[in-house]
Amino acid sequence: MELIRNFPCLSIFMAMLSAIISSALKGNGARRLNTFVVTAVGVMSACVLYLTCTTGESYVYKMGHFPAPIGNEIRFGSLEAGMALFFCVIMLFSLNGGRKKIQIEIDPGKENLYYIMVDLLLSSLLALVYTNDLFTAYVFVEINTIAACGLIMIMESGRAIEAATRYMIMSLLGSGLFLIGLCMLYDMTGHLLMSYIQISVREIAESGTYMIPLLVTIALIVVGLAIKSALFPFHAWLPDAYGYSTVSSAAMLSSLVSKGYIFLLIKIIYRVIGFDIFVNSKIINVLFVFGLAGMIMGSMSAIRENDIRRMISYSSVAQIGYIYMGFGLGTTVGMVASVFHILSHAATKSLLFVSGVGLTDVSGEKTQFIELTGAAYRNVAAGLAFTVGSLSMVGIPLFSGFISKLLFSQAAVQSNIKMLPTLIALAVSTVLNAIYFMKTVIRIYTPIESKYPSVSIKKNRLYAFTLLCFVMLNVALGMCSQPITDWITQGLSVFA
Amino acid sequence: MGEHLLANYAEVVAVILFGIGFTNLLLQKNMIKKIIGLNIMDTAVYLFLAEKGYIAGHIPPLIVGENFNPDTYINPVPSGLVLTGIVVSVSVTALMLSLTIRLYRRYHTLDLDEISMRLKKEGL
Amino acid sequence: MEYILLVPVFFPILAGIVLLLKKEYQKRSSMLLYVGTALVITGVFAVYGIFGITEGVTLFHLTKTLPVYFELDTLGRYFSLLFTIVWILAGFFSFEYMKHEEREKRYFGYYLIVFGVLLGLDFSGNLITMYLFYELMTLTSLPLVLHTQTREAVMAGLRYLFFSFAGAYMALFGVYFICRYGTTLNFTAGGVIPAAVLQENRTLFLVAVMFMIIGFGVKAGMFPLHAWLPAAHPVAPGPASAVLSGIIVKAGVLAVIRVVYQMIGTDFIRGTWVQTAWMSLTLITVFMGSMLAFREPVLKKRLAYSTVSQLSYILFGLSVLDAEAMTGALLHVTAHAFIKVALFLCAAAIIYQTGCKRVEDLKGIGKGMPVTLWCYTIVSLGLIGIPPTSGFASKWSLAVGALASGVPVFSWLGPVVLLVSALLTAGYLLPITMQGFFPGEGYDASRFEGKEPSYLMLAPLLIFAALTVLIGLMPNGLTDRLFEFAAQALQIV
Repeated sequence: MELIRNFPCLSIFMAMLSAIISSALKGNGARRLNTFVVTAVGVMSACVLYLTCTTGESYVYKMGHFPAPIGNEIRFGSLEAGMALFFCVIMLFSLNGGRKKIQIEIDPGKENLYYIMVDLLLSSLLALVYTNDLFTAYVFVEINTIAACGLIMIMESGRAIEAATRYMIMSLLGSGLFLIGLCMLYDMTGHLLMSYIQISVREIAESGTYMIPLLVTIALIVVGLAIKSALFPFHAWLPDAYGYSTVSSAAMLSSLVSKGYIFLLIKIIYRVIGFDIFVNSKIINVLFVFGLAGMIMGSMSAIRENDIRRMISYSSVAQIGYIYMGFGLGTTVGMVASVFHILSHAATKSLLFVSGVGLTDVSGEKTQFIELTGAAYRNVAAGLAFTVGSLSMVGIPLFSGFISKLLFSQAAVQSNIKMLPTLIALAVSTVLNAIYFMKTVIRIYTPIESKYPSVSIKKNRLYAFTLLCFVMLNVALGMCSQPITDWITQGLSVFA
Repeated sequence: MGEHLLANYAEVVAVILFGIGFTNLLLQKNMIKKIIGLNIMDTAVYLFLAEKGYIAGHIPPLIVGENFNPDTYINPVPSGLVLTGIVVSVSVTALMLSLTIRLYRRYHTLDLDEISMRLKKEGL
Repeated sequence: MEYILLVPVFFPILAGIVLLLKKEYQKRSSMLLYVGTALVITGVFAVYGIFGITEGVTLFHLTKTLPVYFELDTLGRYFSLLFTIVWILAGFFSFEYMKHEEREKRYFGYYLIVFGVLLGLDFSGNLITMYLFYELMTLTSLPLVLHTQTREAVMAGLRYLFFSFAGAYMALFGVYFICRYGTTLNFTAGGVIPAAVLQENRTLFLVAVMFMIIGFGVKAGMFPLHAWLPAAHPVAPGPASAVLSGIIVKAGVLAVIRVVYQMIGTDFIRGTWVQTAWMSLTLITVFMGSMLAFREPVLKKRLAYSTVSQLSYILFGLSVLDAEAMTGALLHVTAHAFIKVALFLCAAAIIYQTGCKRVEDLKGIGKGMPVTLWCYTIVSLGLIGIPPTSGFASKWSLAVGALASGVPVFSWLGPVVLLVSALLTAGYLLPITMQGFFPGEGYDASRFEGKEPSYLMLAPLLIFAALTVLIGLMPNGLTDRLFEFAAQALQIV
């Protein structure tokens, strides 16, 4: 048991180390090392999850030998461990699903660079999940951004580089705001460790002297992270970045990178600012409104889109709107719903990206809808998986999307003022989702005499197996949601 | 209000600089100017941090010989943060510059909007 | 023992999936044997479940408070028995009919799956289970609409999908409130929400109920969200249109009964604006459906419009909130199911044998297909409501109940509209009979010579016609049961 407590720190360093080793390896070696590391980190996170769930407590791990409040700390409870495990699983699936495309689309000499970026991404995600120090969080936010940028630009097409530049600019704006926010917080509290900041913030809030600076600081941090996680109206960079990168990158960007920032925000809400102070500030209303707007506007843009990859990307904007809307409700139940939606959306969106690429592959690499007609017959596995993903997005019972909608609505009916807008937005956004996803599903199942050849499952077993795993994950989230929500609730309760 | 602004002039300057950098990064069309904006923004944060760590009349936290007294030192943590921050901003700037070079080689312009227009025309 | 309840739900679904995944059959007959066996086995287990099992069974928990739970009450038994009879008979009809369609394997695969889903809908013992199967029903029945894959069919399918989803999510809006405030989600006569809570959030619940009525009413083609029905039903292959129009729409009725009578409770709605709005909508639909059917030249579309109108008879009977009217409505569920399926099957038989789709082409058809046309005539009389057919019995109870209910204005307006609509029904159905048998002097009807369909097609038609008359002659056994249920649901002791 003592050994397991070292695992979070160990897994961060393992991921970093593998990035360094990969730079000396060839593409194949880097790939194998990466698979091994992701699996190993997943197993370690599972051990940590087991430990934290059985004891129901959270642990603090001192980095080096400096005691708090000077030293740096790692802190983990069941929520952190579960998130780390989930991120590993999604990363493994996304990479496996896009493996073939990576080999085709990336210059063979640069394949190891791709895996370096993936390793770095993993380490920074783990650090964001586990760290208890705000400045460390900032540093890893930047590493995360750089790794993500590398994942986008690895394609080397003009589009990809332009998308990476835009992504970089928006991310830097976000991290700049985050940085100045945390410096001001440091100025006011004199601490960098989350638990100590919270004590000071509480004192400030009780004395009421520094309320305006505190509010400004909270706003800066929240807006910074909101920009980075593509909350409407800061989403302009998103469709290009997701649409023109290789499929594994798109899947990981949408389901891991943005979710990592959101998870950091949850941490800050609970562990730095304090949930009650956050709820009492006006900021949650702003988040609520932007969340609602994102839910509708993201879907509207997706309907207008004529390119399947960009459509799925715009749908991400809508789903991120859901998550922020859950924050905006300002209740623990809303928070649980948001966390569940992080999981549900990550599982579904990466499934959609990976299956979408299977469909475009059998349509002459074209992403326009007209070319996709009948694609589901040419690649049966991808067609079925895409259908499952779409149904989950629309919110059909048995799939994960339904449960998150249910949780959101249950959270909404507890609030008097926000209930009606939430329910209406949920209903409208669901119908809009249904419009564009069902349109696509019908399109891919409309048979025509196609000029493109079809692909059998036997030829691409790994891909089909990955899709099966994704579908199982999705159905598991949809059918056994109770233990998961219990875990989230328990994790959030030991968070503060 | 005015007194506070005067008394904390360094913070005021830092925040103004931050604003200038932020707007440049956001609104400039030229990539190089954007990167300059980014650097102004980051430097503003370092100025803010350095100002916060400085305690008037105290000396740098260096141990010289036997006699050292923590009460005479300035706060060393912000200095550490500034160093870390500089490392981060240097690497980010390098990445941005390399992206700019790539774009320039391909499109012979530094104007991001024009690049986007051309990409749209190419229909890629 | 109670786990047998799961067999009729999941066996056909599995059988359908297996059929879909299998390679094309070499021989058509072996596929038909497979489908026929599956249908019969399901039917046997369904009947056993309906009459033999009283306990409920929980399959699994969606979340702690939301179990997927099956239990049969009177309403469930009634609907599932009806669905089973019609589904199997229409299934046998399609054995012959589908010869001239392509992609038979897919058709029968989904036919089996929808059967299972429908039984699941009937068997469901709580609101969430019902909602789950309701959504599944929309999805799995979509391939039946899309079957021909023409542009028209795809557009109709999309329309079907959007209206259904829009409706389902409107209903979900209300489901959330019931989940939040209900003491249980199991169907309970008189509602599950404490009266105090209802009064406290009166406006909210009234809006929620209205949303649910309109939302579930989409499936039953209630105005204002009825536009999908006349587009979607006729494009499907003949027997599929029959079950879509005769059976699947009834799922909407079932859902409305469950929600209004067994979740919210009738006392809460009685006399409110919701009841008035509901009644007005149904009466508008009754009249409008008949008018549109009257003007429609394509036979299958005409029948679809007629479904819009007839379904709102049923909904009107429910909206009166009176035991007698509800009995009529429930009886009309059966009557309309048998009649409308028979009508669509007649239309399918005519298309199959002659290819005629428009009403004016059918002159003199009685010379060649007398048995078919006789069946058509008998069930048409039933739909109009002429004794001694089932339609008469049901409409009689409906009108009596409405008159006795004492709802201002509607107690007499309702029966008047129903009467006018019955006249229109006669106007759009009977001319086919008259011109079919008496095309006029010197009309050459030789193209219909010897076109009578095979026994496999005629047998279901004859059975439905016979059932229509039989129920009309002896409705009492059924109506007594239904009245008992209605009284219980309305909590009249």
